[in-house]
Amino acid sequence: MELFLYQTALKDFLRAKRIAVWIAVCAVIFLIGKLWTEYTGTLSNREAYSQLSSILVFRVVALAAAIFSTAVLSQEVEQKTVVYLLTRPVARWKILLARTAAAMTVVILISWLAAIGVSISVFGGSAFSNGLLYGDLKTLAIGAMAYAALFVLVSLMFNRAMIICLMFAFGWETSVPNFPGDLYHLSIYSYMSAIAQHPQIEAARGFLGALAGQLGVNELTPTKAWPILIVLIAGCLGLGAWWFSHFEYLPREDAE
Amino acid sequence: MIALQEASRWYGQVIGLNDITCTLGPGVTALLGQNGAGKTTMIRLITGQLRPTTGSVKVFGEDPFANPEVYRRLGYCPEIDNFYEYMSGQEFVYVLARMAAFEHAEAKRRTTEALERVGMAEHARKKIAGYSKGMRQRIKLAQAMIHEPDVILLDEPLNGLDPVGRRDIIDLLTLLAEAGKTIIVSSHILFEVEQMTRSILLLHRGRLLATGDLRVIRDLIDKYPHRIRIETAQPREVAAKIAALPYVVSLQFDPAGNALELQTRQPALFYEFLPSLSLEHGLPIEGFSSPDNNLEAVFRYLVET
Repeated sequence: MELFLYQTALKDFLRAKRIAVWIAVCAVIFLIGKLWTEYTGTLSNREAYSQLSSILVFRVVALAAAIFSTAVLSQEVEQKTVVYLLTRPVARWKILLARTAAAMTVVILISWLAAIGVSISVFGGSAFSNGLLYGDLKTLAIGAMAYAALFVLVSLMFNRAMIICLMFAFGWETSVPNFPGDLYHLSIYSYMSAIAQHPQIEAARGFLGALAGQLGVNELTPTKAWPILIVLIAGCLGLGAWWFSHFEYLPREDAE
Repeated sequence: MIALQEASRWYGQVIGLNDITCTLGPGVTALLGQNGAGKTTMIRLITGQLRPTTGSVKVFGEDPFANPEVYRRLGYCPEIDNFYEYMSGQEFVYVLARMAAFEHAEAKRRTTEALERVGMAEHARKKIAGYSKGMRQRIKLAQAMIHEPDVILLDEPLNGLDPVGRRDIIDLLTLLAEAGKTIIVSSHILFEVEQMTRSILLLHRGRLLATGDLRVIRDLIDKYPHRIRIETAQPREVAAKIAALPYVVSLQFDPAGNALELQTRQPALFYEFLPSLSLEHGLPIEGFSSPDNNLEAVFRYLVET
């Protein structure tokens, strides 16, 4: 049953209409990577890859998570199809977790595609010899899960969750890692950066540095970041499952 | 099977359902009420989508809210006309059959069977996006019956159906009721309900106004003057014949000059007399209708008397 729920949601999320946009996004990132390496001759391949990954791929994961996580429930409520899910003999928490797992899978796949695209654009034929890529794939997987779990929880608690999630993905996650002090602890991006261990680039101190979250001081280490993200994922999923099982979810329309 | 005990439901400052106590058992029961009467709220309480603000709702003795045990034995055909439009009717019903815990082969068999029962076998492979309103209603009904539940709730199930479709669905619901199922149908059209059942729950502004046999309510209504409007090109000649009838209380001409409205205490007798106006007296009767033969009249009677 749980597997069927997961497969059905995955099939929905991977529909050509939905996924074509993301393939296009990955293609654009690949092209940007090509141009980037072409016109920034001073950077080594590792540095160029790191910069592109931090600025573009790590943003794609947050954006994709915002879109697909809100599709887990908010979209069902908006489109009024939630009524079919909630009147089946399946525990609500199972529905939520199966659909969230499907959303996480899709976000991971999209972010991996983007990362591989960047690696190919920078390293060409030796893209898969790029040691940073494998670290990034792990980072993107845990980051995708963290964002998705958080955004699903947000979508359970608030109406119009997509706006909140997008503001978090771009506003919060771009600015907070650059803030002075310890505020960077409140950003998933900071934990992802700590796990990815991209090399610091001296040239990237301006606008690009801000986009890459390199203006602030990030003292997190992978050994600290991994467990914190795992706890965040488990906490958000657990709270989300409880919330979904205890609160009313009706198709969005005027109450009769 | 279904018991509401002093159940009320508020939406903020607005009351959706007000202090309802009733029990519902096998057979077809109609939830009758105008738009905003609380029919959908009551159905949502029974299907466990909502919790009562006060009081209790029990289905098979259990709280239905998010309760899979209740959903195993309960089917729901919602009023909303929304689907996974990218799916075919067959896929949609199959997915919901799988979610009712049937394995692939069994779900497939039940899907085929349910689609045949609602007359959708022929169109099952088409995308739902291309379905007519009537086809969508049938698909909703198929998914509600897929797990052969003991209780089926249908929110305005005849909306959008053509007369043949209505007859088919009414026959199907009657069959299910005869098989011992509890069928609860909401409607705001008295005529529709009369074809399905005599057992009604009449809701008005969130309150349970009347329960029981619709015929009894009708008989009560018929004791009060009943209005009948007759359309004719010769209203004065028709009025002259009607005025002589002892059970006609009053007569009123339409200012347009092509109709008259009468009040009678014995509508059945008047309807027996009506054909003689044409057949025996040769008067042209172009049409007749009763403003009291609808839900508003039932409410007017129950609220004002």
